[in-house]
Amino acid sequence: MNYGRELLKGSTDTLLLSLISRQPMYGYQIIKELAARSQGYFKFKEGTLYPALHRMERGGLVKAQWRRLPNGQERRYYSITAKGQKVLETKRAEWQGFATAVNLIMSPRPT
Amino acid sequence: MAVPLREYLEEIRADLRLDPGAEQEVLRELSTHLEEKAEELRQAGLSEEEASRQAAEFFGSPKAIARQMYQVYSQGSWGQALLAALPHLIFAGMFALHIWQSPIWLLLVIVAALGLAIYGWGHGKPAWLFPWLGYLLLPVVIVGLLLMALPPNWNYLALLAYIPITLWVLFPIAIQTVKRDWLFGSLMLLPLPVFIGWFLALQQGKFLEFHLPYLYELAPWIALSFVFLGVSAATFIRFRQRWLKTGALLTPELVILILIVSSPSQGLSFAGLLALIVFSLALLLSPALLQRKLARKESKVRSFS
Repeated sequence: MNYGRELLKGSTDTLLLSLISRQPMYGYQIIKELAARSQGYFKFKEGTLYPALHRMERGGLVKAQWRRLPNGQERRYYSITAKGQKVLETKRAEWQGFATAVNLIMSPRPT
Repeated sequence: MAVPLREYLEEIRADLRLDPGAEQEVLRELSTHLEEKAEELRQAGLSEEEASRQAAEFFGSPKAIARQMYQVYSQGSWGQALLAALPHLIFAGMFALHIWQSPIWLLLVIVAALGLAIYGWGHGKPAWLFPWLGYLLLPVVIVGLLLMALPPNWNYLALLAYIPITLWVLFPIAIQTVKRDWLFGSLMLLPLPVFIGWFLALQQGKFLEFHLPYLYELAPWIALSFVFLGVSAATFIRFRQRWLKTGALLTPELVILILIVSSPSQGLSFAGLLALIVFSLALLLSPALLQRKLARKESKVRSFS
């Protein structure tokens, strides 16, 4: 079983919102950033990113805008909305509480 | 764009079933990603063919991506669900209030259906359009049934002229609908078996021999069946998954047909009910077969070109 992928399933939106909140990003950039920041831990089929992004866009958590680069290439940049920012803050607080509790249980007992 | 990537995107497009505007936007975004990935792989030393093939492989199963994307867009709002249920609910109201014979009401419904159908057809064919379109097709069927009342021999002659004309009108609409999504074809056809069911149930012995007071007696039952159709259309709009949408169309339809037989009408026997159920299933699933045929034809044309 690919544990990275299984763990990612429940937290996709939070991870994506967290990345997009730093700066507007386009799909391929998000994939590369996710792999780089997690040091290769989160690897998944790249195409599955887009349904997640479009779901968040329809939910009003992010907004998208096409931009044309100087070389003529076009990219669809996602940026976080006020609603997305609010959701992210809630999710972050939840995650920090969860991570602290798990660490207290999982960390080896001091000798 | 390299051929493997074009073919890969075409595989996604075939299963997306989105309205043309959203489909174009999604494919445009996916193609920019695939091209950038392929370019990176080419710069890493792969041939164009191999780079495109690997870019598609990294991207994942086209069917899975199309299915997930469909689920993002397939759920309509509550407003759209209400709009889809509205023609059924109007008919339910007309029978419940005994105004189904009123020419003014009928005219109003036809004008509303025509206006909304023209608007929806020109604006990306959204899901709520198809129940309205279904009611526009009903007069065509009713005229066909009434032709049977003509004197013997004349009725067959009239049908010989009527059927090709009807097919000529209906076939392009059916093709365009099924190309958009076969489930919309089923959504459009939904009231047809119910109309035919009540039409047969109201016969008094001989074909086309109606007894109007009897229709008044059955009006609440007829109204209830249209309420079920409204619920069916609304749940269809709200569900995301295709199998749930299919269930939302077929289940209430079967309940309505059983309701017709359970009503005080005596025109439809148990055998008639079974025949009607088989006819309804065949009718509601026929758009799926038509879509498959069209897809095969399209892929043949593409492979030759």
